[in-house]
Amino acid sequence: MTDRAAAAELASYRAVIKRLPITLRASLNSQLAEWDTLFPFERERVQGFFRGVVSLDAQAFQALFSPLRDLEGKMGVANWDFSVSENTIGNASLLARSANYAEWREQVSRIYTAVQAAAQSSQKPSIPPARLIVAILPDNLPYEPATLWNKWGGRGVQLSIDGDAARITELLLRGPGSIPGVLQKQGSSDRSDLWLIDAGSALAALSEKQNAAASLSYSALRPLTDRILAQVNTVPRSIADTDETLAGIRNQDWSPYCTPEFASQAQLRRFLIDLYLSGNGALIFSNAFVEWAASEAIRRSRPRVLFARFGMRALPKPFTGIAIFENQQRISALPDVDDPHGSAVDASILARYILLAAERYPESGQTEFVCIAESAKRAYVVVPQASSYGWTDATHATPEQIAQRLIKHLLAEGAGG
Amino acid sequence: MEVTRRQLLASAATLLLDQWSRAHCMADPSRRNTERKVVLVLCGGMRREDTFANSGLLNIPHLCRDLQPKGVFYSSVRNNGVTSHFNTIASVLTGNWQRLDDWGKLPPASPTIFEYLRKAMRLQQNEAWLISSNKALTSRIGASEVSGYGPDYGANVIFPKQLLINAVVHAASQGRAVHSTDRTTVLPEIEAILNSDNYDGLGWSIGEDPSTVNKPALGAIQQAIEDLIRTSYPVTGDEFTFLVAAEVIRRFSPSLMVITYSDMEVAHFGSYSLHLSGIGTVDRLVFELWNLLESLPDYKDKTTLMVLPEFGRDFDGSTTNGFFNHRQDGESTRSTWMMCLGEAVRHAQIIEDPVEQTSICPTIANLFEAKHLNLPGQILPGLWL
Repeated sequence: MTDRAAAAELASYRAVIKRLPITLRASLNSQLAEWDTLFPFERERVQGFFRGVVSLDAQAFQALFSPLRDLEGKMGVANWDFSVSENTIGNASLLARSANYAEWREQVSRIYTAVQAAAQSSQKPSIPPARLIVAILPDNLPYEPATLWNKWGGRGVQLSIDGDAARITELLLRGPGSIPGVLQKQGSSDRSDLWLIDAGSALAALSEKQNAAASLSYSALRPLTDRILAQVNTVPRSIADTDETLAGIRNQDWSPYCTPEFASQAQLRRFLIDLYLSGNGALIFSNAFVEWAASEAIRRSRPRVLFARFGMRALPKPFTGIAIFENQQRISALPDVDDPHGSAVDASILARYILLAAERYPESGQTEFVCIAESAKRAYVVVPQASSYGWTDATHATPEQIAQRLIKHLLAEGAGG
Repeated sequence: MEVTRRQLLASAATLLLDQWSRAHCMADPSRRNTERKVVLVLCGGMRREDTFANSGLLNIPHLCRDLQPKGVFYSSVRNNGVTSHFNTIASVLTGNWQRLDDWGKLPPASPTIFEYLRKAMRLQQNEAWLISSNKALTSRIGASEVSGYGPDYGANVIFPKQLLINAVVHAASQGRAVHSTDRTTVLPEIEAILNSDNYDGLGWSIGEDPSTVNKPALGAIQQAIEDLIRTSYPVTGDEFTFLVAAEVIRRFSPSLMVITYSDMEVAHFGSYSLHLSGIGTVDRLVFELWNLLESLPDYKDKTTLMVLPEFGRDFDGSTTNGFFNHRQDGESTRSTWMMCLGEAVRHAQIIEDPVEQTSICPTIANLFEAKHLNLPGQILPGLWL
């Protein structure tokens, strides 16, 4: 699409937004403002939304949006200081404090479902590709094999690994027939098809084709993280000032604190800043970073393959136990002391959260999920409903067999249907 | 917890109260307005599955084994308001669901139980306290601005944790890391904050004249801080909050004391193990609080202790990232529990009928026999009222 055509497309969307209820506008306008840094899936979703809205005749349009307009009237939205140009904490706070908040959420959800259905009815169905998520609990985190998967709900299969469990990731990322090559052969052209999200730097070290992946390493990003954390901690206790500070952080040029390779990736840089500013511990704990980055990557880019490797957290230091939101290295010069047991507890629940995040989307029907606990030589595998590999809880498999099986899944067309 | 660390924190708590009472010209009370006491403990966000469900009982050994058998346990307590800290605590204190600025810029929109009681019973200010670990609160939580009530009838509000946090952060901002080898550079930071006037964020002013701190007390705090810096153990904000609350209880024997704990709120940063550790700390501190109340003549057999989470947290798999947050409009977030112990309890029982958190305010008013106030909300069942 030419620049001119793209500009015309965005202008047509903006015209549609003006016809929508006030509380829907901020989110849509935000996405248009960031069009150049949206992932392909996000663009398609936005385009689908507008395709769906435009496909409605006047009567259907009225029927769909009137209830929300009426509700906004009841909530007094017209009298609010509600931004229509971007999502703000102020907006979220106004909505959450409304006595009609739950009803508002229902209405918005109803509208998106209906518009999505309208968009889909005007599109040809395509064969959904197979997908894979690999969560890695590294060797330095201790687990009891007998209780390791107790909270995972029994949906998956518990495999015993005969051999070096760390080898599975190596086989998946390196060498002939590994995942980067498979994706390339299948015509993948965007980095967001393959994510490598890591508390440390092991995944990047394994990956032979780093420019083929969206790669985020908490440890490698530390200089940037520390800078942003320092600014976030200056946020004053006021919603308006907070929105202003966060907008400043969002628009700042962080290139000097990034590696040149990372600085050149506008989409990934924007993703990371959004990630940091959306909280959820991404600035504080490496394992929270891994989980939240993986969940957001799945939500925003629907990747073909995602690796999430957890790591070790240090024990809270004296004083930092009460100021946990601070940079512990800066506050205390005492050396870090690992907290293997606490880190293992954290990583285990957060790995499960990645599975739960993936299951929220229709793509989970084609997604195979594997969590590898390297120290326990165990893996938990959740396969799409229609797939069956004959694996049971009693199955022992070598790293080679497991890696082969996972790659075979990716090669299948319309896996799990 | 090692004894020396507890002692040094207790010393810090003592000094804090010395300074507070001097600044507010408070003498130790010679006459009690009321014999009856109520202590209300609000404990941040804790899910049922991490507390009073089979999967959570190991996190709360004291609450479930030592205390629940003695009290009235409400197994279905609803938070039907905004599940943020300031709004929830304000709702509990006022008996009305509050929809305020989450950042505590606004006072509660209706009078608090502090105001109701102080006005109706002519209680002095040192009879009503709120001591909080929660950084989401401000001193405005202590009183509304409703005509006829307001700050003149409000509570003393103290945020002990902020004292330590700000001292440490301030030291770091000056380029001084906190380390045993350079503790001499940190001592002045903490002393400066203890001695400063109108310290922002603490919600109180303290005396301008450093001499108001007597030498033995100053010596105790200096030693305490020095030891605190030297120790290699983490210090929790709730531990310090408890010690300050205990000092207030011993020194002023207030009629109404509200304590809020927040160590478990580390969940917002995504560490489940530290979240569970925070729940464990609260479990221990509530048990210590109960034992303290039982040991003091002013409190023994005269005190009702109420303990409850502010809300749960979001369910695993929610779009709000599960235990990290407390924003979902669902059972995991809105449904919680409460325990009442002590004087108002006639016999131990479990009440399964749902009750709302807004029932706590009128129930406390009734406990003080201020029934003529006709506060909205239903009185909690199962107590002697």
